[in-house]
Amino acid sequence: MESLFQTNNPKRHKIISDRFDTIQLKSSGEQFETASQETLQKKLEILKNDIQSAIELEHSTIPPYLCALYSIKDGANDYAANTIKSIVLEEMLHMIMAANILNAIGGSPAINTPNFIPEYPTKLPKITEDFYVSLEKFSKSSISTFLQIEKSAEHKPHPGKEYHSIGEFYASIKRRLKWLDKAIEGGIFTGKPELQITTEQYYGSGGKLVSVYCLDDAILAIDEIVGQGEGIDGEIEDPDHELFGEGIEYAHYFRFNEIYHEQKYRPRDSPQEPPTGKQITVDWDAVYNMKENPKMTDLPKDSEIWQKSYNFNKTYMALLNNIHDACNGNPQLLMQGIALMYDLKYKALELMKIPIAEGSSITVGPSFEYVE
Amino acid sequence: MEKKTKEEFDVVIVGSGIAGSVLAKTLTNAGKNVLLLEAGLQAGMAFDPEAAYKNYQYYIDTFYKASAKVPNSPYPNIKDAQSIDVLDIEPITQTNSPSTKGYLVQAGPLPFGSDCLRGPGGTTLHWLGSTPRMLPNDFQMQTLYGQGVDWPITYDELMPYYEMAENEIGVSGNVEDQVGPDMSIENYGEGYVFPMKEIPQSYLDQVCIEKTQNLKVKLYGKEYTITCISTPQGRNSIPNPAYKFAGTYWNKKAQKLELAKNNEEYEPVGAIWDQNTGHRCEGNASCVPICPVQAKYNALKTLRKSDPKRLKIITQAVASKIYTDEITNAITGIEYKKYKYENSTVYDTAIARGKIYVLAASAIENAKILLTSGIANSSDQVGRNLMDHLVMLTWGLLPEKAYPYRGPGSTTNIPTFRDGEFRKEHAAWISPIDNWGWSWPVFSPGSDVSSAVSSGMFGKKLRSHLNDVLPRQLLLHFECEQTPDPNNRVTIDPQYKDQLDNYRPVIHYNASEYMKKSFEAAKKVSDQIFAANGVEDYTAYSVANDPDYVTYKGQGYNFWGAGHIVGTHRMGSSKEDSVVDKNQRTWDHENLYLVGCGNMPTLGTSNPTLTMTALSFKAAEAILKQLEN
Repeated sequence: MESLFQTNNPKRHKIISDRFDTIQLKSSGEQFETASQETLQKKLEILKNDIQSAIELEHSTIPPYLCALYSIKDGANDYAANTIKSIVLEEMLHMIMAANILNAIGGSPAINTPNFIPEYPTKLPKITEDFYVSLEKFSKSSISTFLQIEKSAEHKPHPGKEYHSIGEFYASIKRRLKWLDKAIEGGIFTGKPELQITTEQYYGSGGKLVSVYCLDDAILAIDEIVGQGEGIDGEIEDPDHELFGEGIEYAHYFRFNEIYHEQKYRPRDSPQEPPTGKQITVDWDAVYNMKENPKMTDLPKDSEIWQKSYNFNKTYMALLNNIHDACNGNPQLLMQGIALMYDLKYKALELMKIPIAEGSSITVGPSFEYVE
Repeated sequence: MEKKTKEEFDVVIVGSGIAGSVLAKTLTNAGKNVLLLEAGLQAGMAFDPEAAYKNYQYYIDTFYKASAKVPNSPYPNIKDAQSIDVLDIEPITQTNSPSTKGYLVQAGPLPFGSDCLRGPGGTTLHWLGSTPRMLPNDFQMQTLYGQGVDWPITYDELMPYYEMAENEIGVSGNVEDQVGPDMSIENYGEGYVFPMKEIPQSYLDQVCIEKTQNLKVKLYGKEYTITCISTPQGRNSIPNPAYKFAGTYWNKKAQKLELAKNNEEYEPVGAIWDQNTGHRCEGNASCVPICPVQAKYNALKTLRKSDPKRLKIITQAVASKIYTDEITNAITGIEYKKYKYENSTVYDTAIARGKIYVLAASAIENAKILLTSGIANSSDQVGRNLMDHLVMLTWGLLPEKAYPYRGPGSTTNIPTFRDGEFRKEHAAWISPIDNWGWSWPVFSPGSDVSSAVSSGMFGKKLRSHLNDVLPRQLLLHFECEQTPDPNNRVTIDPQYKDQLDNYRPVIHYNASEYMKKSFEAAKKVSDQIFAANGVEDYTAYSVANDPDYVTYKGQGYNFWGAGHIVGTHRMGSSKEDSVVDKNQRTWDHENLYLVGCGNMPTLGTSNPTLTMTALSFKAAEAILKQLEN
């Protein structure tokens, strides 16, 4: 009976300490209090660039997650597919919230520029850890990459302009938002409120969107992003605290880890250890065998599969253009993006099924490339 | 041998449709222990995301594979707790009387044309979701128009419960649009808004509105001005920032149910397997029989908000008989048959016990259980006054393409004939503008394809023909308010039983002259609307088209069932002519309540679910009072 009534409302862990704040404070040596307004303005521009990078970082995870998701054959791997789908929706949410933060401090999100889409395999923007993310099918290896993406950092000073983890990067953004808002006369949250995407336009995908009009909103948005991604860091002092189980929506890392180990977490499992709960059925073979990191240039130009691949990328660009326009003054447009998302899905599924050459066991796969 | 359950509950509820679910949620959250008996399969009662998703996908797959996409097509129709299936409706003739093809035994003279769903969540799984309120005048049909009976409560008394129902269902709509005969913003009270903004009216609606809004029509020498308004409905849309209510709770001190104030924005209730799915209607256009994303409300969304510690659900448990104490007349237990698996003939019999009992098993099943048990019937009204909206359809081709088959079933209605002096002469009706082409009367678009092919069309010619015709299809419907007739009724007969040895309902049904005249009237209005819109009329009525065929003044009409099954255990102000009082408690048994559409003394012209839900909150309040005093 108990399992009948799991609540969907995320009792998400809000136990993300400000651990990075203290670390960074000591190591950064920055003295905002004594800096001139001119220096502070420069710092603000750097911060805007970093938030643009955050948007790109959030986006860079979406094509790999979508490839894994769409490679799963219909009817197989329900649990894994639903998990990946829910995570990809959260990444979309994070991307829009990052755009809201940038708009709130007077920046302009750039979502449709040629270099916005990374060239896969790629390193994650702003992240120093030495691993590459590929467009590839659902497999033990791709899930293991996803685990690396979502892993929280160990506590050590960052080596300069890059960060050990997504959480660390956001902690730096949060810290600078706080300080600059205090140090710059009149504050930094001077963006036009009408640029914000609100819950009216963004809904039902990954959680409740935060619109950003002030520092508190920005902090809430960042905590939500980091909480959904890395969540807990394994340093919970209260040993009785239930970290997993029904009704608790835990972070991406742990949700991927369940798929990797084909097993669910139990309420008292340790975050440092693999899950020990109920088995999950994962069929690693019920998957379309898409080519790793496909490129349009690999396909015979103007062939039917080239055309299909091109059409997919056209749709992807249309979607990015739509999101770009929505984040740059036309929030209402975002609702029209939904039809494009469905279109993108159907086109991707088709490419998942078509062999790359006659008789080949490898399929074309979606390439997520910039096209005019 | 009967097994007696040791546990005793505060309340035993039969049925997990919207009425039963509203009670289970309200009572458990007020601290009462509830046992819920559900006749349908256990799989449909899954609430953990994985199992709920899996089961619902199974419904969707079944729907995709079904050749006739009728309202119950996605859902299991098990022999242990059979549902009515509209595919079983057939003409009742001298050689075929009664018709016993389906679950109902149709004694006629006309077949009853509606279905409902026996299973977890009940008929809300396949309802359309339209939620207009009844009109104040609907509550006094006898006083004002000499028809039917008056309700024992007024519209004003029901108003706070309507607000609870609109909150529970999550209604999208625009209050300011709700204007018509006996309808104005005042019906809603100052400043009231629905939880969500209206569902956008379809392009087809806009095309029709252009030439129909403020159209003057003549009917029996009187002129009426047609208006078109947006229809409030139970599917998710953009939250209205002005809506300030959270949910309904039991105010113990005041001994009443109240809507809690909320400072946060209303959050649409998503799918039972994923709160983030279904926050907006996606226009999938398959609302009846199934919304693929659960943007449309269903009762499982309510049930899952019950307090799990205080709710025990037993599925595959078909209530069969109610026991009473011979001296006090109080109910002592409800016997139920628990079958082991789908279509099993093997079952255990047990008795559920509580302080208070509630039947929420649908208008027909409630009446059947009462008749089987021989209780609650000192008025002789149990099973009588069976009503439905008799739906007369008219269809034709618009001069331009308006692109039906997109969006929910109906987003606009014509309220012009919902009330007026004419109700003394013929039934009132509401006219929804339909978004789904001619699918209802003639099974478009499949039938268009097959008839074109059989006339020799193929290839390009066929495509261009379909491309010309389908986007121009227009369907209007006229939901005529059936008045109570004691001879339209549910009875039982030992000859007709199901495989668990429970009675099958025997239905006696006819359409009165009052109803037939409304068909004539509605057709006259339809003709004028069609003429104003340049619509080429393709309406054709015959018994071959639909078994519910009647003639009036030499003219034939078909009507279809609306799925609005009401009246079989009506509420009233005296125990002589009604089964329950205004709190939905049976006059004859102080610990037995009936909920659901069976309580409605008259039907009005609105889809009954909203009103029935409001009444269920009223019943919940009365039960809580009774338990605490």
